[in-house]
Amino acid sequence: MKRIMIDPSKCDGCKNCALACMESHRKDGKTGVETLDFKDPANEARNDIVNDGTGGYLPMFCRHCGVPQCAGSCMSGALYQDEKTRHVLYNEERCGACFMCVMNCPYGIPKPDVTKTKILKCDFCMDREEGPACVAACPKNAIYVEEV
Amino acid sequence: MGNPYVIIGTGAAGMAAAERLRLLKPDATIQMLSIDEYSHSRCMLHKFLSGERDEEGLSFVPEDFFEKKQILWGKGQKVTGINPKQKRVLLEQGYLPYEKLLIATGSVYGIPPIPGFRTAANVFGFRDLSDAQKIKKVIQEQDVKHVFIVGSGLVGLDVAYALLERGIKVTIAEMAERVLPLQTDTTSAQAYQELFEKAGAVFKLGIGASDSVVNDQNQITAVKLSNGEEISCDFVVCAAGVRPNLAFLEGSGLKTERGIVVDEFMRTSDLDIYAAGDVTALSGIWPNAMDQGRIAAANMSGQQMKYTDIFCIKNTINFFGLTMLSVGEVEPKEEGSQIYKRECRNAYQKVIVRNGTVKGVQLQGDISHSGFWQYLIKNQIDISELLLKKSVFEIGYEDFYKLDDLGEYFYKNSTVSF
Repeated sequence: MKRIMIDPSKCDGCKNCALACMESHRKDGKTGVETLDFKDPANEARNDIVNDGTGGYLPMFCRHCGVPQCAGSCMSGALYQDEKTRHVLYNEERCGACFMCVMNCPYGIPKPDVTKTKILKCDFCMDREEGPACVAACPKNAIYVEEV
Repeated sequence: MGNPYVIIGTGAAGMAAAERLRLLKPDATIQMLSIDEYSHSRCMLHKFLSGERDEEGLSFVPEDFFEKKQILWGKGQKVTGINPKQKRVLLEQGYLPYEKLLIATGSVYGIPPIPGFRTAANVFGFRDLSDAQKIKKVIQEQDVKHVFIVGSGLVGLDVAYALLERGIKVTIAEMAERVLPLQTDTTSAQAYQELFEKAGAVFKLGIGASDSVVNDQNQITAVKLSNGEEISCDFVVCAAGVRPNLAFLEGSGLKTERGIVVDEFMRTSDLDIYAAGDVTALSGIWPNAMDQGRIAAANMSGQQMKYTDIFCIKNTINFFGLTMLSVGEVEPKEEGSQIYKRECRNAYQKVIVRNGTVKGVQLQGDISHSGFWQYLIKNQIDISELLLKKSVFEIGYEDFYKLDDLGEYFYKNSTVSF
């Protein structure tokens, strides 16, 4: 399967990945990061960069785990491992908003969206040909796609 | 062709087991049996009652699950007993031989021994789709104005929520002094109580029902409380706890206590019979039931896999958009605990630490990035060093951040089991 690999030592915390994620998942029909409304919580990114406390940065990206604890706790069948890509996908329509997945992800990645009726989670940009938007936007190669 | 692998029950444990068994035994015949006509997620029954979803909308597997995985499903089949000696599941008509058997029959609700409750025609539980269907039918056919609910746990409040959505007034009696007593403390309970009251619910806390008024059609028309109050109602819903569904095992010789007794391989006292989910009384929550099902399936297929994740005091709650995570102790169970609290208008956070490890967490309002708490508690990871450097509320997975060669995360300096 394809995974977004992380090299934290290269990350300089610019958050271009977060912008790209917001742009890739926006629902207002517009394009171009310059038109993104940063005040609108509906535009929240699905990835995050956290300070490691010593001046470095730790990219927080869904790992699409081999044994996904999120999907393993899903009581609606909304979260599932795609049989072909092995990516952990999310069917918003099915989601019961119980947030068991939020509790069960050992790394705290999936989170409730602003409406508290669904979750926000990496979808690998639905396996678009050019790869995930965050990876394309990283100027430092701190994140890159590899077949694992 | 040998005898089929039989799974009784199409809930979380049964379905997870079936899926795993198919993966491990591509050619085996897998036969599921359920008394239900629909395989449904019990955790979403309130969405059916409120009218948000229909029966199909409660399914937690893809529509073509049974076809695609070639799993046979006997719907509406009532299992009347088991004969381990002859390796047969006894049905109302006939029997079914099995190679290996998984019992995943879940639990049944109990009706408290209050006069009239066990005999009246309008006392319901809220455990199976059939329970929700019965309640829905009454609502659709009669002019229901007021419902009395016993218990303010997650199930009781689910029912209350669904009925309030339909504009029906509810009164909820709770023996404890607060709502959701297993998951909350006074502060977090108050927030939910207020939201429900704002929606029209009335709570009777620290009070039990003691008697009922039954009319000549055997319908409870009012419930009497232990404080003498009388609450009139159109029907009663009991949400005061469940017990393992194992009455059909009588005479089977299988060892049972509160639930079916299983070893760490989810095997019962019979070598070819396994059990998983609520019926084992090991845990009453969804993720653990699925895990148990998968592990039972692995062992049924000939692998050796232990069930180790016995930790089950964990839950997430979401009512009226107020989310909450509750793991472990809600109040310190022993002396010498440090309690950290933080509160603002829309959020409440509480962490209980003892001997350097986290014993309990409640996060209400914002539960983003909170998944790591369960693992800190479950694995009793020492955070005393971290507490010298930062506030307990600033701890996150980043403090344990580490990547393996395949790019998956793990916890540095700690042995963490999931």
